Amino acid sequence: MIYFDSAATTFQKPPAVASAMMTALHTMSSPGRGGYGAAMRAAETAFACRSEAAELFHLDNPEQVVFTMNATHALNIAIKSLVPEGGSVVVSGWEHNAVTRPLTALKANVSVAEGPLFDRDAAAEAFARVIKPGVDAVICTHVSNVFGFVLPVEEIAGICREQGVPLIIDASQSAGILPLDMQALSADFVAMPGHKGLYGPQGTGLLLCGGRETKPLLEGGTGSISVQQEMPDFLPDRLEAGTHNIPGIAGLLEGIRFVRQQGTDRICGHERLLAQMAAEGLRELPGVRVFARPDLADQAGVVSFTVEGKDVEEVGRMLGERDIAVRAGTHCAPLAHRSAGTLESGTVRLSFSAWNTPAEILQFLSAMEEIVY
Amino acid sequence: MEHYLIIARSVTHAQRMQKLLGRSGIRSGIFRAPRELTDLGCAYAVQIQRPDLTQALMLLHRERLEPVQIYLEQKGFYREVSP
Repeated sequence: MIYFDSAATTFQKPPAVASAMMTALHTMSSPGRGGYGAAMRAAETAFACRSEAAELFHLDNPEQVVFTMNATHALNIAIKSLVPEGGSVVVSGWEHNAVTRPLTALKANVSVAEGPLFDRDAAAEAFARVIKPGVDAVICTHVSNVFGFVLPVEEIAGICREQGVPLIIDASQSAGILPLDMQALSADFVAMPGHKGLYGPQGTGLLLCGGRETKPLLEGGTGSISVQQEMPDFLPDRLEAGTHNIPGIAGLLEGIRFVRQQGTDRICGHERLLAQMAAEGLRELPGVRVFARPDLADQAGVVSFTVEGKDVEEVGRMLGERDIAVRAGTHCAPLAHRSAGTLESGTVRLSFSAWNTPAEILQFLSAMEEIVY
Repeated sequence: MEHYLIIARSVTHAQRMQKLLGRSGIRSGIFRAPRELTDLGCAYAVQIQRPDLTQALMLLHRERLEPVQIYLEQKGFYREVSP
């Protein structure tokens, strides 16, 4: 199979991920639940994972790295920590349902900082126009999951600091791919999956916390100050009720080690090269509209396209029949499609990982020739 | 051998303490804190040798890793000491 759906989940993982998970299943119990060997091995694995993540994302304190089930879980904690019911929020026009659905549930008053696709200056200006003191939170995706557009989060973070407004960054498509410096950004929360660019298993995610007060989504046992009936007021325990996914965390640890060993620059450069190859090849096909700048500026390794006269799901199915995995439709991001004018049609999305090769792009382009002609 | 138990608020807190002390050559172990020492239940303690206490506390304070409590263990008995 040729797998081009890494924006959903990276399918190929470093071999160390599976072996670490197997070791965890056989040798570890639960962190913070005992002083015996199996519990302490679990605690050491969890701490090593927090520490690797803290190093990668420039956090001093590994206690500010909170394990979650996925990025959606992390975003829900962040959003519900900052935004009261009916609160006031600014978002980009490229957000995922993981952001917009919690805001809808909170009946939040949402202002969208609208701007054209692949225009970072316009995006920063749009945020500057709508971020005002009194806004409960600004929420911005670092990279659009549909189009790969890299949002100017550094500039947006600067505007938030000037206006005294908290910032949540959705790093679902950038963690492990683009540099992300918590200290430089001074973001209040950064949410990310473990199973995409960090190459961990499904069921893992991280919430990086910048120091603002947090509100637990779940209450329960934490293995600390157990007599007290309120949740601990310290991280990570405050946000980690219940038994940890230790096999998942053990796998995520190896995934993060892989990313640090490879380097985000190298991984991003590789994915961009593949994206550029795919975009250039697709442009030569009749009736194909590619959502990418010629030089792929301000774009990560994600490319969307449509084929005139063909439903995007049909294209996805035809590629699937050729054992090429892509994602077609609206990608759980109707706001992003509305912003790009593709809500009616949807798009076919290609998204790459460190394991994809130029030869796979050539095979994909041959398959597309068969589909288009 | 007499040693000190530095009570941490959580296992992660204790691990941070141990990592910091280890960087300065102070050997330590992490254990479950005896129940009698923790009013709020379920805690972890970082155990260090008696001569290391002053340096350990200075290091922890510098990194704002404040102990919850500190106990001196002598022949199986615990005596709280001021941090």
